[in-house]
Amino acid sequence: MNTDCLEIRKNILHISKASGHGHIPTCFSVVEIIYAVYDAMKHDPRNPLLEDRDVFILSKGHAALAHYCVLSRFGYFGIEGVYGFGAFMSQFGCHADRLKVPGIEASSGSLGHGIGIAAGMALAFKIQKNDRRVFVLVGDGESNEGSVWEAVMVAVNLKLNNLTVIYDNNMSHARGLQILDPAGHFRGFGCEVSEVDGHNLDELKRELNKPANAPKVIIANTKKGHGCGTLVESQYEWHRRSPNGEEFEKLMGELCEKTI
Amino acid sequence: MRKQFRETVSDLALRDDKIILLFGDVSVYLFNDFKLKYPDRFYNMGICESTIISAAAGLSSQGFHPFAHTITPFMTERSFEQIKLDMCYNQFGGNIVSCGASFDYAWDGATHYCFTDLAILRMLPDMEVIQPGSRKEVDILMRSQYNNGKATYFRLSDRPHDIDMPVEFGKGVVLKDTASRVTVMTAGPLLKEVHAACEGLDVNLVYFHTIKPIDKELILKFRDTEIIVIHDAFGLYEAICEVPNLPVSYRGIPDDFCSWYGTLDAIRRKLGIDAASIRNMLENRFANVL
Repeated sequence: MNTDCLEIRKNILHISKASGHGHIPTCFSVVEIIYAVYDAMKHDPRNPLLEDRDVFILSKGHAALAHYCVLSRFGYFGIEGVYGFGAFMSQFGCHADRLKVPGIEASSGSLGHGIGIAAGMALAFKIQKNDRRVFVLVGDGESNEGSVWEAVMVAVNLKLNNLTVIYDNNMSHARGLQILDPAGHFRGFGCEVSEVDGHNLDELKRELNKPANAPKVIIANTKKGHGCGTLVESQYEWHRRSPNGEEFEKLMGELCEKTI
Repeated sequence: MRKQFRETVSDLALRDDKIILLFGDVSVYLFNDFKLKYPDRFYNMGICESTIISAAAGLSSQGFHPFAHTITPFMTERSFEQIKLDMCYNQFGGNIVSCGASFDYAWDGATHYCFTDLAILRMLPDMEVIQPGSRKEVDILMRSQYNNGKATYFRLSDRPHDIDMPVEFGKGVVLKDTASRVTVMTAGPLLKEVHAACEGLDVNLVYFHTIKPIDKELILKFRDTEIIVIHDAFGLYEAICEVPNLPVSYRGIPDDFCSWYGTLDAIRRKLGIDAASIRNMLENRFANVL
């Protein structure tokens, strides 16, 4: 595991334990994705409003803790404040508020909103004739929402090849309304689709930087809880939980084995 | 009113290249010239109202002034969460322009009627809610509000009133003040009926085109009179009731889907909000009081 991604996961565990708020498995499934996006994007942590920056939107807003920890790792802010995760008057809620956190481009939490907003942004950049790009991370469970597919149709019709959708295929959909062939669906709508191991930074970066003629979709095959065997095996139980002291030591131990 | 929308927006677009039109496969033919003149500023996005609002928010985030436009219930009720979160909570303001308000599509039935739009949108923080009643009101209010960064709702109607008055955002208008102890308050195109009903009667008549922010100062001037709100939608009455302890009642939409077909006039008669019914109600009230 990449050192930064390991440290980000440690931060997530520490903050979840300290704050009592969770969503650890979903956070662990997207760490590499968000990290790779910030690695690929044009952006400046010292100037989050850089005029010609690329834009990232976390549409599956319940992975906010992972997003905060990646932003912190890239230098947007110190990690200390994130320990207030979900607390009264904290800047860092369990779903991000763009007016409170530097680097957050759109507040999210309700599912199925991100691609539509991202399509509007990508259209704006087309009208302005600049080469800014928009990246949006959606969940497979989230993609039960019809608005996801509405927005995909719009993006294809508007030929928004500056828009990249990363589809976190962590099998959340399996417990509810199943989407058996996401690549086929996106391709059917006219997107350029590729499929990668969502925990492999090299594969992610390769696809993120590849030019496209249509909206691009990267199906990122991931595991909920990736990095800790306990989380992967009992992901439903851990969906919203935060670890107690003993559990924390166990999870941290499993995580650190990955460095060997 | 849609023609006025076209004229106002076309005129504004001459000087403001931040104006972008996102239409839901409605009024597209009407804006043909606009589309030809500004191909990268007009988009018929098809029938996906929620995404139209989200995309408008995305455009707004990059400094554009979007106008999202389609039929009232689909633009507002179906897309309510997108208006609430993508536009209002995110502070990516923009203009939402609907057509077919209340019973304008009288022959289409309950799926196409919309009388909750003003009421639900006025609950959203910082949202501006406007129900223009005439072409002049569309023109003045659109020009004054379209680029202020807020989410602003314009509810257009196919049956405007033709009563001239000074128009300023957020200001109600006293059309008649006879120092009566009864004040009728109304908003939007229904003024035509209400105005005719009040003709020659000893009642005060107050009109609103801005539902939010409501002109509380003006309402307070009539607090010692009996206020009757007559409106073909929800929202105005609730806004007026924010002024505490008013003796106020409402005549308009019942707790019903109003699932009759026909004409606007027939439905107004059925609801008792045509000029004759309103006059009858007012005359009875005076008779009972005396």
